[in-house]
Amino acid sequence: MDRRKFLRFSAGGAAGAAIGASLAYMKPFSHSPEKEAGRLEVPTTCEACVNKCSVIAVVENGTIHKLNPNPENPKSRGMLCARGNAGLQQVYSPARLKRPLIRVGGRGEGNWRPASWDEAFDFAAKKLSETKDKYGPQGTLWSSSESFQEVFFRNLGAAFGSPNQVRHPTLCLASVNLAYSLTFGTVPSFDLLNSKYIIMSGANRLESFITPDTMDLIESAEYRKAKLIYLDPRFTVTASKADEWYPIRPGTDLAFLLAMLNVIVGENRYDKEFVANYTVGFDKLTEHVKAFSPDWAEKETEIPAKDIVRIAREFSDAAPRAVYYAGRRSSWYREDFHTRRAQAILNAIVGSWDREGGMVPNGKIALGEYLFLPWDDPIAPRVDEMDKNFPLAAKGDGAYLKLRENVIAGTPYPVKAWMIHKQDPMNALPGQARTLEMLQQMDFVGVVDVQMSDTAWYADVVFPESTYLERTDPVEVLSGIAPVVVYRQQVVKPVHDTKTTLEITQGLAKRLGLSQYFDFTMDQWVAAQVKELPLEAPLEYLKKHGVYVPPGFPKYGTTLNPDHRFITKSGKIELYSDRLQEANYDPLPVYHAPAQPPPGKFRIITGRRAYFTQANTTNNPWLNQFAPENSLWLNAAAADSLGIADGDRVEMTSTVGAVRLKTRVTQEIRPDCVFMLHGYGKKSKWQRLVAGTGGCDSELLETAWDKVSGNAALHETFVSVRKV
Amino acid sequence: MAARPKRYAMVVDSKKCINCKACVVACRAENSVPLAYSRPWMNEETRGVWPKLMAAFAPEQCHQCDHPACVRVCPTGASHHRPDGIVVVNEAECVGCRYCMIACPYDARFFREDKGVVEKCDFCVHRLERGQLPACVETCPSKVRVFGDLNDPKSKLAELLSDRQYRVKKPEAGTGPQIYYLI
Repeated sequence: MDRRKFLRFSAGGAAGAAIGASLAYMKPFSHSPEKEAGRLEVPTTCEACVNKCSVIAVVENGTIHKLNPNPENPKSRGMLCARGNAGLQQVYSPARLKRPLIRVGGRGEGNWRPASWDEAFDFAAKKLSETKDKYGPQGTLWSSSESFQEVFFRNLGAAFGSPNQVRHPTLCLASVNLAYSLTFGTVPSFDLLNSKYIIMSGANRLESFITPDTMDLIESAEYRKAKLIYLDPRFTVTASKADEWYPIRPGTDLAFLLAMLNVIVGENRYDKEFVANYTVGFDKLTEHVKAFSPDWAEKETEIPAKDIVRIAREFSDAAPRAVYYAGRRSSWYREDFHTRRAQAILNAIVGSWDREGGMVPNGKIALGEYLFLPWDDPIAPRVDEMDKNFPLAAKGDGAYLKLRENVIAGTPYPVKAWMIHKQDPMNALPGQARTLEMLQQMDFVGVVDVQMSDTAWYADVVFPESTYLERTDPVEVLSGIAPVVVYRQQVVKPVHDTKTTLEITQGLAKRLGLSQYFDFTMDQWVAAQVKELPLEAPLEYLKKHGVYVPPGFPKYGTTLNPDHRFITKSGKIELYSDRLQEANYDPLPVYHAPAQPPPGKFRIITGRRAYFTQANTTNNPWLNQFAPENSLWLNAAAADSLGIADGDRVEMTSTVGAVRLKTRVTQEIRPDCVFMLHGYGKKSKWQRLVAGTGGCDSELLETAWDKVSGNAALHETFVSVRKV
Repeated sequence: MAARPKRYAMVVDSKKCINCKACVVACRAENSVPLAYSRPWMNEETRGVWPKLMAAFAPEQCHQCDHPACVRVCPTGASHHRPDGIVVVNEAECVGCRYCMIACPYDARFFREDKGVVEKCDFCVHRLERGQLPACVETCPSKVRVFGDLNDPKSKLAELLSDRQYRVKKPEAGTGPQIYYLI
């Protein structure tokens, strides 16, 4: 017996399988037929983030084995990011919510007892009714974030009679949306794939979030040789891919923009025909930007004046295939609205509007609507007094931070019950101690979620929602230059005793006497939505493909005729805004130099990695492994002066809190800034991997907001750092 | 060496890599790889002193060598070379001796304590048989990896290799690696 044979036979049980070289050769590569027979591919839509990419779920013997990207969706372009791939952990994670829970003991103590759905519904309905009797329906607050069934939850709050619904935009993109809306009458998309010159500041699109813009940007920057200019106080993945990276002094982006406008207007480099035909207020803009020379901007931004001049020239030369990218999350500074509006104005005057490679208004697809019984509009005004505080902002979404302060103060009236749908204000809002105060002053808190978030941890009742792979949702349009219709269909039956949001809504509605408004099934709702689509059997089509891509997009130039009326007061693109002026805001962007940290302190800047982005996936083991604990980025020179070495534990203190975490001493951040990832140091013990691990940025961040939009300003906190 | 009907290989355009880790998670799901291990991995490098910095990212996995050292040292024939060039481990024949792990110049193999066998990237052969791309190739947001048949002159892979400059890792090991990194 030769050595190989000896080893083969000595391998015990395994040896029996190895009969003859040729058979053994093929064995691992041919799937057993029974396995293939139990194999099913179901097209559906991802919900690992709000971006709604199309996926194909591979089910083997009733269990989801893998999520593959669906190449039929041109928006998600046959890709699935790390979070999307890890989505199936949502279904099978032992850490998920498996049945309704009612709290026993004090809020936050973490003692729960399982309850039946009937009991949980009865309990919540009783508490909501008591609140209504005592304080009126306005005494209830309904919070939710973007998801396909959010509409039912929101409608329940509205039918209940509460004017108080608050959504995520003022923790995210309210300022950028409002700035572009007030300028163009709409929020356009950016045709990055066809751009030749892209300037990005206040956005980190190759690192923080994976969306079509990410794919377009890498493709245009690396293959089509678009020039990417990137401003960031931190050396990010985007910085590493940029043609030019400037570590701008934080909060001074508007100075850079005003100097660019100064050069482009002063040197007559704007698109004269476009400005004359489509805009108003150019004369006022001309006067306004005269004061903002590149030399002045150099002192503010620390970007050399000669580079600002060159970039302005290159940008206008490349126009209309040149864009100053709008950004997605824009909750940075108190003046964020004006910074974003200056971008909009800059893009407008070089004529990068509705042309290939520029900004393009989103295409539209009409969906049908299920007609349900209407309810009376709420009588009471909103608790965040949007009309008074943010007269130009989108009222239905509310202003989260102002709302929190008003609720704590009890003005203009008490709010004592809080229903929360798949949102985690404990982590999403700055100033966690204040959020906790708001939670603690509630008579009732009910949470719908798939996992025990930090907010659920402080709730009275927790309703476990079926995950996105266990339910069928309403159809959604993914807007964009080339919009598509996506469908999320049930892939597997709920693994645990969970319900969809529609079922939860109906369960509560029944006990609140509101059943007449929710007297429909998901199938009826979806059927009404899809019947307008130009397809023979639209639902069957969506079930088979998961996505419908209408022909005829992208369309460029639909707004480029002088008769086109923009949805603005003047009907033109408003460089100067009368509406801002009437509401006592600066009608053109005015620069206010941001405060800088005093000696010995640092500005804490926030940012995201795409495998987490929001706080809700840090406990996913497939993603957590990439960053099991967050650390504090500290510039090497600054660390030296504080006597801090890489890996040392430090305490970081602001006026509202202190957190402890280890340091990452690095060259990759400005000496006056520190940075940490979001979603760690959780309170919920059920988030085992991140409970008490690392530091929680929300505990540290001070409360500040943009004056025009009410958007949170998350970069306005100064901290001191000491070794512990 | 005798001509192969197919010769599967991979081109990596690391300039497009944004270190998002989608490939790592996709492989974990597709091949049911426990958390302690990973078939593909990311090489990350940051150099310089503030503010003169550079960063580079590149994925790596088994190089599916033409002259695989792992196959040469395998005492049972568990590690072997398919006619299409893919190097695979037949779990049923693997005795867990781990000679192959020492032989591999790329450290692309790991020992599964739970199964007692050595495992590595096999270009998702089970997916190829279904006409699908390897999981890491398919899922990549910025399409860093291009998979294909070197013997097919019309493939994107062959086109890239004839148009662009490339390098392979550790050519001095003499194993004939088949992951081509574009320069």
